Amino acid sequence: MRRLFDRVFKGSDEMYEKAVRDLDEAIAKYGADHIMQFPDTAYNCACVLQYTGKKVNTLADLKAALDGPIKEMMSREQKTHAVFTSGLATAMSAEIIEACKYVEDPAPYKGEYHGHMSDAEVRELGVPLVTQDIPGFTVLIGPAPSDEEARDTIKGYQSRGIFVFLVGGIIDQAKRMGISMGFKVRIVEVGPDIWSVSHVISLVMRAAMIFGNIQPGDYWGMNTYTLERIFAFVNAYAPVDDLTVACGGGAIALGFPVITDDKEDLYQVPKSLVIQPDTKDFIETSLEARDVRIKVTQMDIPVAFNSAFEGEIIRKKDVQAEMYGARVDCFELVQMKDVREIEDHKITVVGPDFDELEPGVMSQIAMVAEVGGKKMLADFEPVFERKFHSWINCMEGVMHTGQRDQIRIRISKAAYKNGLRAKHFGEMLYAKIKGDYDTVVDRCQVTIYTDPAECTRLRKELATPVYDARDARLASLTDEAADVFYTCTLCQSFSPSHVCIVTPERLGLCGAVSWLDAKATNHLNPNGPCQVVSKENCVDENIGIWPDVNRAVKEYSQGHLESVTLYSIIQDPMTSCGCFECICGLEPASNGVVIVNREYAGSTPIGMTFAELASMTGGGEQTPGFMGHGVQFIGSKKFMRAEGGIQRIVWMPAALKEKVASRVNKAAQELYGIENFTDMICDETVADSADDLDKMIDFLAEKGHPALAMEPML
Amino acid sequence: MSEGFQSTTVQQMEADAARLKETAVKVGIDIWQDRVKAQTPHCGFGDKGICCKICAMGPCRITPKSPKGICGATADTIAGRNYLRMAAGGAATHSDHGRECVWKLYDSSADGNYHVTDATKLLNLAKEWGVPTEDRDIYDVAHEVAEIGLNEYGKIKGYQRWTDRATEERKKVWMEQDIMPRAVDREVVTAMHMTHMGCTADAEALVRQSLRCGLSDGWGGSMAGTEMSDILYGTPMPKETEGNLGVLEKDMVNIICHGHDPAVSEMIVLVAESKEMQDYARSFGARGINIVGLCCTANEIAMRHGVRMAGNFLQQENALLTGVVEAIVVDVQCIFPNIGPLSECFHTKFYTTSPIARIPFSTYLQLTSENAKDVATTIVKEACENFPKRDENKIFIPEHKHKASVGYSCEGIKSRLDTVTNSHLDELDTYKPLIQCVTSGVLRGAVAMVGCNNPKVRPDYSHIEIMKRLIENDVVIVATGCAAQAASKAGLLDKASKVLCGEGLRRVCTLADIPPVLHMGSCVDISRMMLLVTGIAKDWGIDVTQLPVVGCAPEWMSEKAVSIANYVVATGIDTYLGIDPMVSGSAQMMDLITNGTTKWVGAGYHINTDPEQLVKDILDGIEAKRAALGI
Repeated sequence: MRRLFDRVFKGSDEMYEKAVRDLDEAIAKYGADHIMQFPDTAYNCACVLQYTGKKVNTLADLKAALDGPIKEMMSREQKTHAVFTSGLATAMSAEIIEACKYVEDPAPYKGEYHGHMSDAEVRELGVPLVTQDIPGFTVLIGPAPSDEEARDTIKGYQSRGIFVFLVGGIIDQAKRMGISMGFKVRIVEVGPDIWSVSHVISLVMRAAMIFGNIQPGDYWGMNTYTLERIFAFVNAYAPVDDLTVACGGGAIALGFPVITDDKEDLYQVPKSLVIQPDTKDFIETSLEARDVRIKVTQMDIPVAFNSAFEGEIIRKKDVQAEMYGARVDCFELVQMKDVREIEDHKITVVGPDFDELEPGVMSQIAMVAEVGGKKMLADFEPVFERKFHSWINCMEGVMHTGQRDQIRIRISKAAYKNGLRAKHFGEMLYAKIKGDYDTVVDRCQVTIYTDPAECTRLRKELATPVYDARDARLASLTDEAADVFYTCTLCQSFSPSHVCIVTPERLGLCGAVSWLDAKATNHLNPNGPCQVVSKENCVDENIGIWPDVNRAVKEYSQGHLESVTLYSIIQDPMTSCGCFECICGLEPASNGVVIVNREYAGSTPIGMTFAELASMTGGGEQTPGFMGHGVQFIGSKKFMRAEGGIQRIVWMPAALKEKVASRVNKAAQELYGIENFTDMICDETVADSADDLDKMIDFLAEKGHPALAMEPML
Repeated sequence: MSEGFQSTTVQQMEADAARLKETAVKVGIDIWQDRVKAQTPHCGFGDKGICCKICAMGPCRITPKSPKGICGATADTIAGRNYLRMAAGGAATHSDHGRECVWKLYDSSADGNYHVTDATKLLNLAKEWGVPTEDRDIYDVAHEVAEIGLNEYGKIKGYQRWTDRATEERKKVWMEQDIMPRAVDREVVTAMHMTHMGCTADAEALVRQSLRCGLSDGWGGSMAGTEMSDILYGTPMPKETEGNLGVLEKDMVNIICHGHDPAVSEMIVLVAESKEMQDYARSFGARGINIVGLCCTANEIAMRHGVRMAGNFLQQENALLTGVVEAIVVDVQCIFPNIGPLSECFHTKFYTTSPIARIPFSTYLQLTSENAKDVATTIVKEACENFPKRDENKIFIPEHKHKASVGYSCEGIKSRLDTVTNSHLDELDTYKPLIQCVTSGVLRGAVAMVGCNNPKVRPDYSHIEIMKRLIENDVVIVATGCAAQAASKAGLLDKASKVLCGEGLRRVCTLADIPPVLHMGSCVDISRMMLLVTGIAKDWGIDVTQLPVVGCAPEWMSEKAVSIANYVVATGIDTYLGIDPMVSGSAQMMDLITNGTTKWVGAGYHINTDPEQLVKDILDGIEAKRAALGI
């Protein structure tokens, strides 16, 4: 039997030699000074960056890495450390092989494979990882024994919420079985060859750098972070060659166990290299090997329920039934009731079921959940209600957008064929409300109305007055009016030194936690991530300095932070975990700031993309002049109030501008008396690079933008 | 690479000791450092094992000019006899400690001072020995098991029944080599008889009896001690505690339990934990009662109750020199007679409790099964009353202490290994996960670090440096006795010390949630190590001699260590010694204990007094075993 370590060493040598060959060819063709840059990332060649500690800009940089630090990591001592570093050297060699492809063509896989993943995609993972909507990642290296088994395994992982990366022949199997793939549905067809696995390692590296503030070159910091915080694992189908074994060495170095059915020349190592001859048992064996626990909510519905289906799109031709609040009366509502008026788990359907709906004709739906409990507060109604969106999306074959009476629901033909009917919406909502909010909800009953007349009547008589009352309450919810603020440390499982302070006018930077959410979380779990922060003895109301805010960030960042202000991006700005929706950065020429949202892929007048701006902060670090935040915060009167507020905003991508226009314009009108302020804000149609800075200044001058006349911020 | 963990160095420990020595000078008492100076140089003949004072014709000493004693005994005979007598002394000591433990089980009752705590272990042993258990009172079973256990000490014929647990291969070797141990007492008596003037002169026969006598300890008396203690006081399971002198508390009543047999310390812990006694301590202005252990008594109560460990053999005087010890209570073995006069220099009360260890300047309260709780109560009470009598001018407590994860009995180790199994593939309650780590190369092997402190080398230095080098090289360590305490003082029992390990061991420590050095207990608990290697060999399907596992006693000094070394070697484990085994005056003896035993039982001694070289030899030895296995 060949020794395991020798196999890693041999595979590592093979990968290294191919990297040398491919790179030499690229250098011969383009020259050593040719730029090498993966698309949409501020962490170019993240594996090489991380383990050599050196930035990569050119092919010469890669050559230097191969000749120097990578080769040095390939010691052939019979020690685990040599195996781990050789495994990581294998990943770096693989990354260089892939890099050579991207030198040849910025889109080498032509849509057939996903290949490199962008920083924005990495950042999208932040919230679902924290909330455990994604409990783990798997890399399947195949082909599986049969197409059917490949499908069952992939779907099995998907239905458990596990993010699936496919490498090699299993991608063809998935295609033959008609599995829909892509980053949104959390099944990524990475690439055809084993070296494409480096894209997954790169994603892991960047997650650790972004969320964990792991510094390039910090070997132990990285390996400890991935071992303790990233729940990934590998399934490698037999036969496993030396190249794959060497990559496995790298995976295990990061704490990701490899589960394989290959028994030839492989040794079992507990929780690291697991030999499971029965490939049909890969899923459960793997989850146990990596300690991934799947939260199961029991619900009586005939389709799968998982966050992996949130990104699922149902096309017109696949629609069985559709309800659209913009055209007909639809709504969703959570209402608090006296517990004695509620019959727990009573599900009522009023009106025709889906069988009786005519396909292609717009239908109506109203979903009303009545909840009660000793600790229930009316403030929690909208908190639960906002969750309907993601819950309904989690049902396989159901798509949901919007909220309140502006919802749109599509039900697929496949889900209908599987038996999905109106009552199952009730069952699902009941199960989730009772499951997720059990400490405050004692009883819950759900009524699904499909009768058009009832939907219309109830929208007017029941829903609209409730929404109006809530809007009035929300409008009165200001930082000044609130009695307390809350911490949010939900992200600390990934970003251990970051603390959000959530106030009514400043929701969490991920956009997922409002002050009401934080309040509810605190009630649900008094020792949990949202803790009360008192507002006593305010030091400076304009900048937003409170002694207890500082005390809280110091305590909950384990001393990493001393103080934060709530309304300044210059003086002790609030930190970011890395999963922020937007990043705001100083633009000195205009005395203003630019704001970029995650979805915007282009560059900005300060010459940086979202990815590059975002890399300036995150991981719980304070970077004056840069701040991550939620989309909603842009319309807040407290948005960088210390520096003059929203009138400092000089540039935003057009799509973001449109999204926030109504709130921003309203706030600008009330604060400064400026009408249609967003018209004064520049966007990429005028200026989309550092070269266009003058164009932006001209634009701002022409529009009379107030920032130009303001004091410089620094 | 230290990542927040700082090991306490030997230099720091020595600085603490130097500070305490100032107190010794101040109060006018000698300590071991002074006495080492006074005794140096040691007698060269004794050191080489070639001084014979077995009969009154002598003492005879062997020199080139006088190569034979008066009776004609050669250097080989004299060194061989002295060696066997040391082994017999050690076997007698361990085994008699074991016998006391069996007696406590024999005396146990539902309403008495001693109870059956681990009934499962008792029932398993009863089953192993064919004692009926169905529908029987647990104490009836306990008494019958105890009677059989006691009988093992003096059985008329047959062999130690504990040896039934060994591998078939070992049993075959022991029978073939005629070293299968008979009654414990008989092996000691045989050894004394063989070494009497005019009996065995053949060195080979003396070494063979040393092996047999040692086996009667490791696979007899000591094993009885461990098993009975587990049944009576509970089988140790992983738990957290602390170690080094920093565990003494300035504002509490400090009581030190010192020695080996847990019968006394168990009672002290029980009594001191009571609210009544804690209140009593507070009535004298103390914050409460702080029980700490020294030497193997520390190991016993740390393993079972998480009681903190003040230190090992050469720390015993230092502990009293802190000036904050209200009482030191001892049972048997390794107690400096100097504790008597030393305690007189302080307010410290010194209690002896066993007829086996009577020491001047102590209060003797003989502990029996009947009066145990009363004796403990008297001691704890008097200690509380002693609290106000401290002399502030004599107080200095060194700050050093480390967290320590202890309690790694075989059952404790398996419980941790179970956590890394996969329920889809693996069975529970085996050593297979550990074996997988070794066969794959993630771990290179294992070393059993055992033995005492010995001022012939820099105390604790060899233990700590060797352990650090081993863990750095992905070798996992099991430790007992003073070796485990040295690890505790250096922080190597702290799980955080995994950052000092090679990456393989570091990962294993993380996944199994263990420290790199596993504390298996006191020196009698080296019997646990014998069961550990036996279990590993059985689960692996190879012989014990093939395992990449060795023993190491870098600072040994007592006769018990000689007995241990003999049974460890006889069990098939190469043993690396950092102190000469006192036979170097005989080339034949040196050959017999290295090459000779290797031929008979497949293992022998490897001796090197330079710890750097010794650890290199160990690593080479482990790699050679791996190469032979093709892994």
